[in-house]
Amino acid sequence: MFYLYLLPTLALLVAALFLSPLRSKVWVALASVVTMALAAAIPAIGVLSSTKSLTIMEFTSPIFGQESLSIDPLSALFLLIIGVAGIATILYSKGYLEQYLQKKSSAHISLHYSSLVVLILSMMLVVVSSGGFSFLFAWELMTIASFLLILFDAERAEVLRAAVAYLIMMHIGFIFLVAGFATIYSITSSGDFANLAICFSNGKTILLFILFLLGFGMKAGLFPMHVWLPEAHPAAPSHVSAIMSGVMIKTGVYGIMRVMWYVVDMADLQIIGTIILAVGIITGLWGVILAAVQNDAKRLLAYSSIENIGVIFIGLGIATLGQAAGNHLVATIALCGALLHTVNHSLFKSLLFFGAGNIYSQMHTTLLDRFGGVAKHMPVTAILFFIATLAICALPPLNGFVGEFLIYLGMLDSVRDNVNTVYAAGGLLSLALIGGIAVLAFSKLYSTIFLGSPRHHHVAESQEVDNVRIGAMAIPAAAIILIGLFPQFAIRIVEVVALQFTPYTEPVVSQYLSPALTKLSLTAWLLVIIIALLYVIKSRAQRSRTIDQGPTWGCGFTSPNIRMQYTGESFAEGLESIATSFTQDTVEGRAVSKSEIFPSSHNYNVRHKDKIDRLFAAWWVELLHMINKRVMNLLRTSKINLYIAYALIFLVVIFVLSLLKLI
Amino acid sequence: MAIVLNTLLVIITSLAIPGVINRTRALLAGRQGMPFTQHLRNVNLLMKKSTVYSTTTTALFRIAPAIYLGAAIVAMLFIPVADLYPLISFDGDVICFAYTLALARIIIIFAAMDTGSSFEGMGAAREALYGALIEPALMIGFATLALFCGYTSFAEIFEHEQTFDLHLTIVMLLTAFLFVNITFVESGRVPVDDPRTHLELTMIHEVMCLDYCGIDMAMIHIASWIKCACFSMIAANAIAATCCFNWWFATPLAILLTGLSVGVVESTQGRNKLVRNTTFIVTISALAALIFFIGYLLKLDINI
Repeated sequence: MFYLYLLPTLALLVAALFLSPLRSKVWVALASVVTMALAAAIPAIGVLSSTKSLTIMEFTSPIFGQESLSIDPLSALFLLIIGVAGIATILYSKGYLEQYLQKKSSAHISLHYSSLVVLILSMMLVVVSSGGFSFLFAWELMTIASFLLILFDAERAEVLRAAVAYLIMMHIGFIFLVAGFATIYSITSSGDFANLAICFSNGKTILLFILFLLGFGMKAGLFPMHVWLPEAHPAAPSHVSAIMSGVMIKTGVYGIMRVMWYVVDMADLQIIGTIILAVGIITGLWGVILAAVQNDAKRLLAYSSIENIGVIFIGLGIATLGQAAGNHLVATIALCGALLHTVNHSLFKSLLFFGAGNIYSQMHTTLLDRFGGVAKHMPVTAILFFIATLAICALPPLNGFVGEFLIYLGMLDSVRDNVNTVYAAGGLLSLALIGGIAVLAFSKLYSTIFLGSPRHHHVAESQEVDNVRIGAMAIPAAAIILIGLFPQFAIRIVEVVALQFTPYTEPVVSQYLSPALTKLSLTAWLLVIIIALLYVIKSRAQRSRTIDQGPTWGCGFTSPNIRMQYTGESFAEGLESIATSFTQDTVEGRAVSKSEIFPSSHNYNVRHKDKIDRLFAAWWVELLHMINKRVMNLLRTSKINLYIAYALIFLVVIFVLSLLKLI
Repeated sequence: MAIVLNTLLVIITSLAIPGVINRTRALLAGRQGMPFTQHLRNVNLLMKKSTVYSTTTTALFRIAPAIYLGAAIVAMLFIPVADLYPLISFDGDVICFAYTLALARIIIIFAAMDTGSSFEGMGAAREALYGALIEPALMIGFATLALFCGYTSFAEIFEHEQTFDLHLTIVMLLTAFLFVNITFVESGRVPVDDPRTHLELTMIHEVMCLDYCGIDMAMIHIASWIKCACFSMIAANAIAATCCFNWWFATPLAILLTGLSVGVVESTQGRNKLVRNTTFIVTISALAALIFFIGYLLKLDINI
């Protein structure tokens, strides 16, 4: 039934995109995405306000039995995220793809837009599908659409490599998911998520959960399955990175939450909570440390996505542990935090990738140390990027802070109530460290790109991008500021979702936290007002005094030049010296050694690669090489007498074996 | 009324601490020393000066001092003086305090990087790293207080009526020690950073504001005093929580605790080598974790 609707719709969409004229393809795509977003948002808002789930259709799937499409509060929240990010992405792509319209063929552009629309549609299907075949179908559609999107610049070798690696990793994850659904089907004769409750009450909860954790974790980028993320994002066009990093990886988070929902046994829940918290902590720390040492803007952003997934999982872990220990209030607060952070991350990460796209389209590179002083040439991009930077560092008065505030509060309350104290303290410690290093990573990112003096002549030629792109970026930016200044309204939406997981029937969190959130909002306003006041006072005071301009003070050094400026690499050097065991450095050229008193010209290029890459890449190939080399060195001696001896030994062995009737 | 008094006391503390530090150092060195209010006169002088801005900088550089001072002021509004009530207080305001100060930190890093100077870059890079490493100590310190007092806002943690309790005393004294250490790091004092050094290569905090002058510099100085006073007041409150919960006890304690300890340490000890700083700060974080565990064990009432 469902496929009777879906497949013609898909075909129609793709046909419309292929047949429309080159310049209007974006408008067709935008129209279809806006239609989808509206069609999804209206029931989603209805579900969120009435907290009753809504079944769209029921049907029998070819393999996994009875399934349905339905919207419950969790799906509704994700539908809203997907809708907003989808519209912003398509709008942004208009400006971004402008320069490619002449270079690429019309079919190529059509394929790109079709994949983009299909990706958004498939993500919506993923979150409304009740499981089983339709879920896997939508999941696979999502993977293939995003694979095609990454392939946009397929003539670059590294893009092809990243895309294929992505496709392979996603299918490894897919196998786990198929295995998970097959297990549900074999126990309950339906692949529906709802039947997980029966499976989980039959024991073997942990194994089944780990199966799903591996499947969904691959998409979400959990450690150590994150290695595709930092390869795929720099390869993909910026708006694709934005939607993949902002929204698509969240479908993994969605899946985990969906599965956790049905765990009933408290002892199992305790173990699951511990696993999620531990994975979250490792993912967060690994992501943020690797982010801080990257030299490529988009790679840094990709690692930061891994970090944020880690933060979301820390929140989820605390919520699960709280639930298991019967501390429902803490569980609800932490869950609200995790959900709000999911929403927030989709906003600021899209904005950051859009910003990276702006500078890429002007300067055709994302290497950090090629920039500097871009803020002078692209002031609007600089301001929007600044907002997103502060938000992702979880600094007040923006939205990132509100989400992390709730996660922190969940942990602090947990410590205060002396329930799961050690877990919560571990989470607190790690989250604080993650937050601190995130400040380092993003101050490095922002200041090497936008501040200081230009390190490359490209910067002088760059200009502010067109208004459509700025408009697309204004959507997430506005949401970032609004959630930051009015947290008490944002919390109501996520709370509806969080309450589904807990035994509460009324909005406890917004009641319990109402004074705190009101004062948090007041503090945010106070901060803004005080800063504005101080600035006005300062400017007024300066009016009666002379203001001069001059060069940056060189501390008495008479000829400072731009090459002495701190680079991104030198900014993170302190952390690198601590985190050497996390990375594998590939160095081209040679650094200036300390004994060189008058250094000659040097070429020094370093890349910090993830050590985990080796786990999936060629460690076994290297092993084979090594064994081969060792054994061959032993045998291949170039001495004819030894070779004759080998032949003799061979004959003797054959003889002995035939005597023993073994051959 | 109590709120006004509270805010005034924190302001007085922030203004007095630099004076006490200078007097202590002068006394220990056997010098006459500068007058107690010299730092206020310096700032007053700075306010009257004209300004020079680097041509490399953007508008961010000019707004940064306002954000820095604004964030410090907002952070100050969370801090109670013993049993008095601060202006802003809610569940979890400890987190808000920490992140407001993080906002101050990132802004001053941006301002430093905006000048394009290699020296200021050095300072910014160090500040970013040390700030990241001290953050866990701060949070786990708050967690210890939350665990032991059963509240998550400063006002309730320190206002809470308690009779003398040995366990509480142990934990509070240890936490106070932790926060004095955090004060050294956060306000850039010996052994982490030496504000009196004359070599830009080894500075941290001072080198980040090399290009500021006039009223901007004055704002940065004031913000640093406020930051220092906040941490010092938390340490003093923790000590006050063990015996008497009164503001007239906590305020002079906060001034003297930091003033004397910073003065004595700066007179007797040199600055760490920069490579040792990371070790020093990570040790403070480890110490914080240890204190938390001691608190946890005492809370469990295990006979040790």
